[in-house]
Amino acid sequence: MRIAIRELQRQPGRFAPVTAALTLLVVLLLVLGGFLDGLEGSQTGAYRAHDGMVLAFADSAELQLQRSVVGADTAEELEARDDVDAVGRLGRVDTTAVPRDTDTVEDVAVFGYDLGTDVLPAPSTDGAVVDATLAELTGIEVGDVIEIGPAATPVTVSDLIDDLTQGSPTVWLPWDQWRDVAMDAAPADVLPDGASQALVLRPTGSADALAQGSVAEGVDAVTPEDAILALDVVQQQSSTFEGIIGVTFAVTLLVIGLFFALIVLERVGLYAVLKALGAGTRDLLTGLAVQAVAISAVALVAGIVVAFAFTGLLPADLPIRILPARVGLIAGGTVLTALLGSLLTLRRIVRIDPASAIG
Amino acid sequence: MSHTGAVFIALAEMRRAPGRFALLVGAVALLVLLLLFFQTVAGALTSGLTGAFESNRADVFVYSDRARLNPFASVVTLDAADAVADVEGVRDATPVGVSVFTATTDVGDTDIAIVGGDPAGPASPRDVDEGRRPEAPDEALFSGSSLDSAFAVDDTVQVGDRTLTVVGTSSDAALNVLPTFYVPLDTYTEAVRARAGAPIDVPVSWIGVTVTDGADPATVATAITDRVDGLEAVDRATATDAIPGVGQITRSFSILYLLLYIVVTIVTGVFFLILTVQKTEALVLLRAIGGSRGDVVKPVLLQAVAVVGLGSVLGVVATSGLLSVTRDVFGSSLSTGTTVASVGAIVVLGLLASVGAVRRVLAIDPIDATTGGVA
Repeated sequence: MRIAIRELQRQPGRFAPVTAALTLLVVLLLVLGGFLDGLEGSQTGAYRAHDGMVLAFADSAELQLQRSVVGADTAEELEARDDVDAVGRLGRVDTTAVPRDTDTVEDVAVFGYDLGTDVLPAPSTDGAVVDATLAELTGIEVGDVIEIGPAATPVTVSDLIDDLTQGSPTVWLPWDQWRDVAMDAAPADVLPDGASQALVLRPTGSADALAQGSVAEGVDAVTPEDAILALDVVQQQSSTFEGIIGVTFAVTLLVIGLFFALIVLERVGLYAVLKALGAGTRDLLTGLAVQAVAISAVALVAGIVVAFAFTGLLPADLPIRILPARVGLIAGGTVLTALLGSLLTLRRIVRIDPASAIG
Repeated sequence: MSHTGAVFIALAEMRRAPGRFALLVGAVALLVLLLLFFQTVAGALTSGLTGAFESNRADVFVYSDRARLNPFASVVTLDAADAVADVEGVRDATPVGVSVFTATTDVGDTDIAIVGGDPAGPASPRDVDEGRRPEAPDEALFSGSSLDSAFAVDDTVQVGDRTLTVVGTSSDAALNVLPTFYVPLDTYTEAVRARAGAPIDVPVSWIGVTVTDGADPATVATAITDRVDGLEAVDRATATDAIPGVGQITRSFSILYLLLYIVVTIVTGVFFLILTVQKTEALVLLRAIGGSRGDVVKPVLLQAVAVVGLGSVLGVVATSGLLSVTRDVFGSSLSTGTTVASVGAIVVLGLLASVGAVRRVLAIDPIDATTGGVA
């Protein structure tokens, strides 16, 4: 192992090209992971704001909010349950918002709701809770007025909250006000009287326990996490990007494997001498593994710096978000892949005959 | 050394060390697979989003001026079509309503887009591949993207209490990456009222306009915007570009293409450089016995082309296979033009990547064979 470390110290140039290639692969992996997390995060903020609650959809809707219609009678039935503390309505309509006295028009998803959560303040007729993303796009602040939908319904911004985006920046209105906005913005999608798209249940105990049972006939009750997993867009994005990240790791494996194959080829004579002096195959492989880990560590640090710098230069509206958990996963995967790549030379090292050291 | 000699040396080296070249070919093949797969998925997504507009009969789309050219946020009253029809240069103006419904089909419930408008007017695709346009209530012209289920003539779907019958199909005219059914406006209106459970007024989403012969759609669009209050009109190309998500998808995937092209170049360049360094002694000898610079450079370039070319071919084959396997998910196949352009770019980049190795070869001094001063 000592020889391997000394070689790294004395001949860093030899390892520079593969470190550069690996750095780029790390950047690619982080950007791919950033798109995956960014896309998922930007499609699910409204659901994640309901952590700890249970969402109830019509059972024919396959947990898709747009397809779901839940009647008022179902809400009353659920409210009567002992394990339900409160029931609120939830609805969404897509339209546009314009800060008053500006020409800045932005697409928004307007949600109507009854129940506050750990993230969402309780609805108030004094103003609307607004996704901070809309503030980034338009420059609005708390107290400003935005005009929603084709009827330019004026709404005062009462709170700006991070990470509420669900496809578009979201605006949260009390249910009755939302229904008026929805009638103007999407008259073709208007709900029957008393109905909502989904119900939000505040459990008296655990949300998981409430979501596991059958809460009412014709209703599927799930945690927000399960509602997110059921989103078609999340499923497709996750499977596509995870597959692509997997292939990128395969490329990384081949690149590392190729580099160490060339290194071993170059050192066959040296390894024969080391074996003749008593070094075992295990010692030689350990040396390669140490070098692989060192290369991947340097590439990871450089790759993370480059990836953050690169994504920082991208336009703000691109859905890319590099999360610490994703960095950890990619770091672990890269080191593991580098180790495996270096061990692809196992067969060649085993076949080195110490006798060849003396000709 | 003749050209044949250079080819012989290049191929002989590859035959004798197949493992190392196979690894590099494999890496290039996987990178080509990633690139082509990205391009195909991005193409399918973009086409699914823009098809309804790109393939539409309308030359001009007229939205509410508060909709920011977003067809899904636009609400226009029916009588606006009459005002638009009076603008000079407008031949036909048709109100078009769109909404997403849950439909019951043979394969279960699915979301579909219903586009309601005059089947004979600028409210539907230009071309009909099979069958005909709707002529009666509850008849539909179907178009889907490659990402969703296809319906054929005579297929039916249940929307609420209505049964829509497909009487014709059209290619690449999907709305919002959904199976799309173009129906008469009355059918659309009744479906909306049935869902609402009340006889509500149903406004439309936009007005489709065809212009008179010789008129410029962009000019007519400007005239409509200027003369009719509360409306914003744009030509087809502008409407297509403004669809939410299209620009974001294009830019996001462009970033990934750029990274992949850089990775291919660096990986190829790095390994030819390492290979060259490892065989420097042999190359010095070759130069010392009379080989010209060209003689030692040609095999490097040939190997670069061979490795990148073979990797690209394998990548194309692997992508075709992957897209066949995932046809249910992506429903796409490789576009010949895109494939040829991408493979061409990768081969050129492979050659550029070998510049480092070539420079190293050109720097070889034959005298080193006598002094042992080999790098």
